[in-house]
Amino acid sequence: MASTFKVQPTRMELIKLRRRIKMAKRGYELLKMKRDSLITEFRNLLEDAKRIMGTMAEKYEKAMQKLALAIAVDGIITVRSIALSRQCEPTFVMHRKNIMGVVVPVIKREEKIIKCCIEREYGVIGTTARIDEAVRAFEELVDSILEVAEIETTVRRLLEEIDRVKRRVNALEYRIIPGMEATAKFISFKLEEMDRENIIRLKKLKGKKAKRA
Amino acid sequence: MKVAVIGDPDFTLGFRLVGIRDVYEVGNDEELVEAVRNVLDRKDVGVVVIKYEDLRKLPPVLRREIDERVEPTFVAVGGVGAVEELRDKIRRALGVDLWK
Repeated sequence: MASTFKVQPTRMELIKLRRRIKMAKRGYELLKMKRDSLITEFRNLLEDAKRIMGTMAEKYEKAMQKLALAIAVDGIITVRSIALSRQCEPTFVMHRKNIMGVVVPVIKREEKIIKCCIEREYGVIGTTARIDEAVRAFEELVDSILEVAEIETTVRRLLEEIDRVKRRVNALEYRIIPGMEATAKFISFKLEEMDRENIIRLKKLKGKKAKRA
Repeated sequence: MKVAVIGDPDFTLGFRLVGIRDVYEVGNDEELVEAVRNVLDRKDVGVVVIKYEDLRKLPPVLRREIDERVEPTFVAVGGVGAVEELRDKIRRALGVDLWK
């Protein structure tokens, strides 16, 4: 390992390194826990996400069919003019929630989006049931789009975070901690070696001194 | 917060029927990019509805920005592309395909 031989083999360096290893190990444990709890959170959401996204896709298909039918029978101009007559826009309130450092949106609907046909702004008499059905299908679609918006973003962001944390955990486990441990081992070995050299040197000097005397 | 819709006139008409007024009708790719940029700058839009094919056409830089933002949240409708993409992400992040 390249980093093994860049350090000075001193006791100070060894102490510093040991401290860093301890720190890295603690960080590693924490990150591992974070990863596990993120995955738990994700698995709780997954079933809901599947269901909600599935319904949304179905509703989209249905709404598009109904709209095509309404256009085909009543003509595009009628449909467009009804679209212009609609007044109340679907609104909602958006909050931010924090799941272990991941910011996700929470959507709350202020008023119900699906309305009864007399609540809509166009007249009941002048229009046909097909248009009513198309409008209703789209109201349902928007309702479920809002649900999807919340859960899909949450799932997506959790996944990104899991990916990131996993990378860091793996880097610490397989690269950084073993590297630092190898360096520490190298330093302590070198220090021992220097100790032994010193002892030999002293013995030799002692022997020379004894000869001279 | 409001819902905005980006897409071709056929796609947006249905959402007009619900009463959504923030509709960006786009005819070509340049207009599409322009509309997405406009929406990203707005403060009152919380959810943007866009066709999956249109989302795919956006330049990568813009797509990354969309992914990173919380407000507005983009919802791709139509086709199975969005689900497939998510599934791919799960496979990459967890190593197993949990989406079945």
